Amino acid sequence: MKAANKVVLLAVAVAALVTPVFAHHSGAGFGKDTKEIQGTVKEFQFMNPHSWIQVMVPDANGKMTEWSIEWGSPNQLGREGYRPSTFAPGTKVSMKVHPMTSGAPVAAFVAAKTADGKTIGKWDGE
Amino acid sequence: MRKTLPILAALSVTFLLAPGLSYGQSTPFDKLPDWSGTWSMMGGTIFDKATQTGEGGAIDHGVREHPPYTAEYEKKYEAHLALRDKDLYPDTITNCGVPAGFPRIMNLPDTFEFAVRPDLFYIVAENGPNTMRVYTDGRKLPAKEDTWGTYTGVSVGHWEGDTLIWKTIGLKGARDNDSHLDRTGLILSDAAEITTTMKKINDNTLQATMVIEDSKALTKPWTVTKQFRKGKPGLYMYDYGCAENQRNPVDTKTGKTLILGPDGKPVN
Repeated sequence: MKAANKVVLLAVAVAALVTPVFAHHSGAGFGKDTKEIQGTVKEFQFMNPHSWIQVMVPDANGKMTEWSIEWGSPNQLGREGYRPSTFAPGTKVSMKVHPMTSGAPVAAFVAAKTADGKTIGKWDGE
Repeated sequence: MRKTLPILAALSVTFLLAPGLSYGQSTPFDKLPDWSGTWSMMGGTIFDKATQTGEGGAIDHGVREHPPYTAEYEKKYEAHLALRDKDLYPDTITNCGVPAGFPRIMNLPDTFEFAVRPDLFYIVAENGPNTMRVYTDGRKLPAKEDTWGTYTGVSVGHWEGDTLIWKTIGLKGARDNDSHLDRTGLILSDAAEITTTMKKINDNTLQATMVIEDSKALTKPWTVTKQFRKGKPGLYMYDYGCAENQRNPVDTKTGKTLILGPDGKPVN
């Protein structure tokens, strides 16, 4: 088995363990509803205390909105097999997220699927 | 080589006879238990899970714990719970640089190292990051008047077999309203004294039992137990530059945890 495949399998294997864990702050403001968005990764801020995935999401008219998707700490994610390259800029993604109740384009990460079929997080059964 | 051999032989004998260098000689470390590796706290960040009522975690409305608080501290705790239920309880560790303190250092997510030396025991928490020292070199605790209230206080302990027992005094507690035990708003006073017993209960579990006495905040000793599970061999701990990408500062005027958008402005 190629090393790259092992990494993907590891990521899939640990996906069920990865839930939005906000060790650094309260997490208040994020709702419990799950929304699906499609867009293009602008930037993956793999930095402490929390990672943020910036995603450009078009509406029906093509107008772009930048979403900020919060994920775990890079330390925690790194031990689970994730890397700064997990969401490379330009990657087309579908994401399941828990948006803020205020309606702002900010959300907690749940799961993602990339165009090559890779799944990150717990896409099914959320 | 003929001339070199005697020199090498002499050096070898010198090495073997040197104090502290002899092969097989015991060291003070040999008497200490093996707590090496990385560890993770089990059971979530409710400080006293045993007395929890309400469903969920520390930020969920209606969740609380039941320390044997005096009427005064129960009232303070209820005020904190009311703020928490409005999502306005200011958890000061969210503002990078404020230590978690003790006993909260035993109530943190992410990863720990428990470094055992003959003279000193270190608690190293990746989250924060936070560090605490327990002196085991035979010294006595300082007099109370020689402490001034710090986040982790002063701790002195000793080993009884494989069990470490230490006492902590000199905590600042709720004096400046910046030292909490968890996100429900649990606090102690600056009179708190904590006796902790820590030991391995099996190969993969460390257990710390804290008996908290507080003449201002508690009506009787409060016992809380936290457990830590050993991580897989070879795991790394990393630095935790809390301010590196801080997008969740607490507004200290309102208590609200802000969420900053990509332009650095609050979105909530």
